Amino acid sequence: MLDRIARDRVATLFIVTVLVLLAVGAAAPGFLSVRTAGIIWSNGLVLMLVALGIFPVILTRNIDVSGGSVLGLSAVTLGLTLNQGLPLPLASAAALGTGLLAGALSGLLVAVLRVPSIVATLGTLGLFRGVMLIATGGEWIEDLPEDLKALGAKSFAGLSVMGMVTAGAILAVWLFLRSRRGGWVFVTGDNRAAAHHLGLPVKRIEFLVFVWGGAMYALAGIAFAAQIGFVPNQAGSGIELRAIAALVLGGISLLGGVGTVAGVVIGVIFFTSIDTSLVFLRIPAYWNDLIGGAMLLAVLLIDGRLRIALEARDRAARYRRSGHRISSTRDLEDAA
Amino acid sequence: MDKLLAELRSVSKSYAAVRVLKGVHFSVRAGEIHALLGGNGAGKSTLMKILAGLVAPSGGEVRLGGEPLVPATPAQAQAMGLYLVPQEAHIFPNQTVLQNIAVGMPKPAGAYRARVQALIAQLGVSLSPDAKAATLEIADRQIVEILRGLLREAKVLILDEPTSALTPHEVRTLFGHMRALRAQGHGLVFISHKLHELRAVADRITVLRDGHVVFAEAMETSPDAEILAAMSPGVTALDARERMREIEGAPVLALERLSGEGFVEISLSLRPGEILGLTGVVGAGRTELAETLVGLRTPSGGRVTLGGRDFRARGPADAMRAGLVHLSEDRQQYGLFLEAPLYWNVSALVHGTLPFFLRPGRERRRFEQYRAQLGIRCEEADQPVGRLSGGNQQKVLLAKCLAAAPKVLILDEPTRGVDVGARNDIYRIVEDLAEQGTAVLLISSDFDEVRRLADRIAVMAGGHLAGELPAGASTDEIAELAFEAGEAAHA
Repeated sequence: MLDRIARDRVATLFIVTVLVLLAVGAAAPGFLSVRTAGIIWSNGLVLMLVALGIFPVILTRNIDVSGGSVLGLSAVTLGLTLNQGLPLPLASAAALGTGLLAGALSGLLVAVLRVPSIVATLGTLGLFRGVMLIATGGEWIEDLPEDLKALGAKSFAGLSVMGMVTAGAILAVWLFLRSRRGGWVFVTGDNRAAAHHLGLPVKRIEFLVFVWGGAMYALAGIAFAAQIGFVPNQAGSGIELRAIAALVLGGISLLGGVGTVAGVVIGVIFFTSIDTSLVFLRIPAYWNDLIGGAMLLAVLLIDGRLRIALEARDRAARYRRSGHRISSTRDLEDAA
Repeated sequence: MDKLLAELRSVSKSYAAVRVLKGVHFSVRAGEIHALLGGNGAGKSTLMKILAGLVAPSGGEVRLGGEPLVPATPAQAQAMGLYLVPQEAHIFPNQTVLQNIAVGMPKPAGAYRARVQALIAQLGVSLSPDAKAATLEIADRQIVEILRGLLREAKVLILDEPTSALTPHEVRTLFGHMRALRAQGHGLVFISHKLHELRAVADRITVLRDGHVVFAEAMETSPDAEILAAMSPGVTALDARERMREIEGAPVLALERLSGEGFVEISLSLRPGEILGLTGVVGAGRTELAETLVGLRTPSGGRVTLGGRDFRARGPADAMRAGLVHLSEDRQQYGLFLEAPLYWNVSALVHGTLPFFLRPGRERRRFEQYRAQLGIRCEEADQPVGRLSGGNQQKVLLAKCLAAAPKVLILDEPTRGVDVGARNDIYRIVEDLAEQGTAVLLISSDFDEVRRLADRIAVMAGGHLAGELPAGASTDEIAELAFEAGEAAHA
């Protein structure tokens, strides 16, 4: 049992999340309710979408730190087009297109021009934030129309439109990763040279995961604007790092090739649960980062130590087995 | 049965200003095993990569099954019925065996389960499709590669030194598979350094030297001497050590029933000025033993004495202070700072003893001294070591170890990936060292190398010390100890 938990990060994190929620529930009566679950889900939407965007990129052993900037740029595109009188569907399409283009640029740099992804996306991070600030002149975009805000409000079965879109995105990634081409994403990160050798279109795979990332950040930008009703000039800033932390927490290896959609979901929910819990416990919001960071380190540290201990045990067992095999042949020789 | 399955027509390839291949013709027919032989840097690997679409030629034409290979990509080459089994198997460690084999096929892995199981049974290997690839041993990884080729119904299989990590039993099994594939009309290219292996299965032989084809004949009508002369004119086969040396004195390093990860109860002793050859097949536990001695792994029992006193290294730095220096078998990963200048690499082990402010002038002079002594061929002391050839890199590595003035030097595969000329230089350096009183533990899988250098030969098999032989022991005697015990362990 302990073995299973230690090997399965998702299970560990699930148990820790449940324990945290139960503890908060004991301290703050009325916390454990369907309503709270809805709040956690809706508070976590933006982070979830950004994490879903970075997830396939990390699976290919790349990284994308431009997520927050793309989110901001897409949100600004949405806000500016809406305020010029464009209908919501067209404005949303413009925002999505912005995200796709932004992702394509990062993908081009990484896959075709072979710029290391951390360098390339640090560059695009600054670039997109800069474009956004120039487009708005540094001003916030306010007075967004009501139909946009309606996307963030509950409409059906306790879910908002953006909530349903997010659930759809989770399902889409899950289905895709089970397909043949989904497998390519894993193996590209596991051993890029081998994937190339086997004839997989490695460059196209890398390019497309960045484009997918851009699309998800754009959806996150729409969800963000819909939820708060305006676009500040720092929209999305720093969220990519929170998303990466959530992914790592959910067992997605930064070395590529390892990770599950369940891990993404539970990682994001864990982070959001902590933030939401702090509100219920009436702890001021400026404590969030400290507590979130400390929880992240604690889980990773304990998990890491357990893993090292298990590996040492496995290795010892392997050598013992081969040692045993040798000594048993010795015995045979002695008997002969 | 002489349909041409693959053909290279006057193919050439240049990297920057260096011409690696100069107008090479090469072909593979249906139902033949074509041996490809050549020294390091002769261009074999490049030639095969061109055939497999991994490298684009600078000139000439590649044809598969009569059609030109366009575009020159691995996917296209595979679609046209060619598969390259690389020397080191390409494995996705986090995927299962089945997924590893089926990656890149048109359907999801599950669709090929039955076919893969049938192929596994047909080859007569024991391999579970659901095992995680990270747990596979080297021979099994090779089988995964061959299965990949078979699942793709490749007509042409290129096997790049497939036997280098296999035991003789596994080699015989592999040859059986190769003959069976030939009988089914496949064409195979077999790359190996071992002439007797090529002779056992090949029908035709092509020898490359300096990017030219210097020999292309039927295997049957080509005596060994002709083939060797074509491959490296002027170099004769290595001989055993010419003169016996009398070594006296108390052992500087002694192991008493030392056990650890991958080896059990090893007892050895080494006197100053002695070269002890430690040989065996891959996986015999030699490298683990060396790494345990310098503190990279923890021993589980037994004792080590160094200079007559109990010794247990807490790590390589500790071992070095005690006079025990280790040259790793993997120079790229553990030996050299590839981007750092040559002089810096040579001083790397003694950095701890240098003054706070480095004096590059003095270190460059130190390097120049070793450059002359070891015959390192380079442009200048500030060149990054990664630009040098394998042989010269290895000499830089030796210089690094010498700078630490070791009492005991452990050399793990000191001539891996080194051509014949540089190899002889390295042998001379090791002999000089021993002459000056350094004790050398020479770990090598190359029996000829051990016979050439060692004063005594210890053989390990399957983690045990299989026996010790005096200098002058024949290759057969060594092989018997190294393999028979190893085979028994696998049975």
